[in-house]
Amino acid sequence: MEQKLLNGLSPAESAEVLALGTRLTVRSGGSLFRLGDAADRVFLIERGRICLSFPMLVRGQQEDILFEEKAPGETVGWSAMVPPYRFTLSAIAPLETELIALPREALTAYCERAPEIGRRISLNLAILVGQRLQLVQAMWMREIQRTVESRSQPAAAAR
Amino acid sequence: MDMLVMGLCFTLIGLAVAMLAFVAATRPETLRPAEQPEQLAAKPAAARFFSERIAIPAAPAPSIHIPVAALLLEIENHVRLEQAAAESFVAFPSHAQLHSKTTSRFVN
Repeated sequence: MEQKLLNGLSPAESAEVLALGTRLTVRSGGSLFRLGDAADRVFLIERGRICLSFPMLVRGQQEDILFEEKAPGETVGWSAMVPPYRFTLSAIAPLETELIALPREALTAYCERAPEIGRRISLNLAILVGQRLQLVQAMWMREIQRTVESRSQPAAAAR
Repeated sequence: MDMLVMGLCFTLIGLAVAMLAFVAATRPETLRPAEQPEQLAAKPAAARFFSERIAIPAAPAPSIHIPVAALLLEIENHVRLEQAAAESFVAFPSHAQLHSKTTSRFVN
């Protein structure tokens, strides 16, 4: 499985990085992390699927709303690399899912020892974070546009 | 005498014609009451129909009565559609992509 976080690394380099982590399996419906939890590991999906969700109050009850679905090769939990190291979404496995958990401390220590690999991993991480930022920005702009339209419609009708 | 009898005959014939004409003229009038109950029965039914039709949108209840599971499904579908629209925008940024209307039932 080619991992996006390790794009640009040779197979040997990728194997070295992956060896820093531990393999873990989340059963179907199981939780990988919850919003607000301390984030000290980045997860690379090897098999299965991870659903990222955020909490929303629906009729007074807190419900998890799906935000993103991640497939094998993708990375979840990059909050572990960004201060204040807290997860800002919740992650559950809709089916049995296998992941590699990379501890922040081990990864950063390795990147300091191998700066070129560290640079490539940082670049891949920046792409990951940038894509999320662009996506959320576009969704937010569309939401604001809809709000503007809904607010200007009654005023236009009154004229 | 003959003239008197003739005049009487003409009077009787005229009276008979007048009566026939009166009966003919008043027959539909007498039938209407028989038909009226049907119309009267139909009218209230129509009025109830319209009043019920009006009452449905006036009540805010339908949105409240959507089961939570169905509402969550709508929200999830909305997020997926918005994410797809946002991904299209990020791939090819343009005003049209950004302001494209959604088919999501959640906001329509």
